[in-house]
Amino acid sequence: MKHPLLPGGLTALDAASVLARWLLGGLFIYMGCRKALHPDLFLKLLREYQLTENPLALNSIAIAVPWVEVFCGLLLLAGIAVRGTALLLAGMLAAFTAVVFHRALGVQAAQAIPFCAVRFDCGCGGGPEFICAKLPENIGMFLLAVWLLAGRGRAFCAFYAWPARSG
Amino acid sequence: MIDNSAQAQPATHACGCPSGKIVLEAVVVGALGLAFAFLANQLSPRGLNPARNYSPGGGKAGVVPPPAPAASRSSGGANVPASAPSPAALLAQRLEAKGLHLVERPEAEKLFHDPRLQQNAILFIDARDEDHYQAGHIPGAFEFYPYYPEKYLAAVLTPCQFAEQIVVYCTGGECEDSESAALFLRDAAGVPGGKLFVYGGGMTEWEAAGLPVESGPRNSGNLRNPGP
Repeated sequence: MKHPLLPGGLTALDAASVLARWLLGGLFIYMGCRKALHPDLFLKLLREYQLTENPLALNSIAIAVPWVEVFCGLLLLAGIAVRGTALLLAGMLAAFTAVVFHRALGVQAAQAIPFCAVRFDCGCGGGPEFICAKLPENIGMFLLAVWLLAGRGRAFCAFYAWPARSG
Repeated sequence: MIDNSAQAQPATHACGCPSGKIVLEAVVVGALGLAFAFLANQLSPRGLNPARNYSPGGGKAGVVPPPAPAASRSSGGANVPASAPSPAALLAQRLEAKGLHLVERPEAEKLFHDPRLQQNAILFIDARDEDHYQAGHIPGAFEFYPYYPEKYLAAVLTPCQFAEQIVVYCTGGECEDSESAALFLRDAAGVPGGKLFVYGGGMTEWEAAGLPVESGPRNSGNLRNPGP
């Protein structure tokens, strides 16, 4: 139902979807910038995951992840290639959440503490966090990305689908 | 207001997986994102060199952050057997394997009070980043953060060549920047390894012992705990 107070005859759901898109875009820009401004610190945190010993691969991840996050955040804010960007972010979030969860299990086992007492800097951009706060945060962002992937958040888009499709 | 150009395109197949066009869009976004990333890294003054090994020491032995004091102590150090070597002994072994030497606080303190320090025959090198260095370093220590060696090498190379002993330190504990800096100075800058020493306790231990700390630039004279 269209809301009389919303511009352009948007429904409340449309408006909420656009806000969700901007929120997700803003979060990724913020977290990406935090890492991109200190890639050395991000590289150190990344090393803790022991994903690879290969310096080229590790450095490439440390270079790529922050700026790709910023890039995707900008696309979401502008409304460009929204569903493709949302799919990419959902994939990245799923992978990040899996490795953070795995590391949290390792920390829990090594320190013999309750799972929710596990706290470390996952390199996500927000500094040291309790795992039981970090996981719901990631799942929330993942669900937002899936919501956008399902076709929400079309209002105020520069190029919702890109490359532009005919018909 | 609402872009309906893609309204006819279903977001997902009946199986719930994204349609091919959306996957293609994601691939294009990913490829452009990667190009953007490497370009931005190239232009950024804090950019990384993809080909450099920033951890020539091969990384630390463990991947687990230091245990929370109360929890781990009450559990008796869950996975650490009583006979396990101390962290300092492990660090010493690791450094020896790379041809470096460990110094502990009494020796570092002795070198700090040695008159040869004033003649630059003994050098202290701080391998932490600029923010930490400015906040407080061992008085007279040179700054050499191994992630951006080009920025600091010109200032430290000549003193290193003339020094008899060089003590490199970082924060202490799990920090490996002192090791990386020492290895860089030896392997890339040609400083003889025999005169490089790593102070394992680092700045955390130094400050905790109430030893002098200088803030701001090198030889700024802003001292805490100046001592007798």
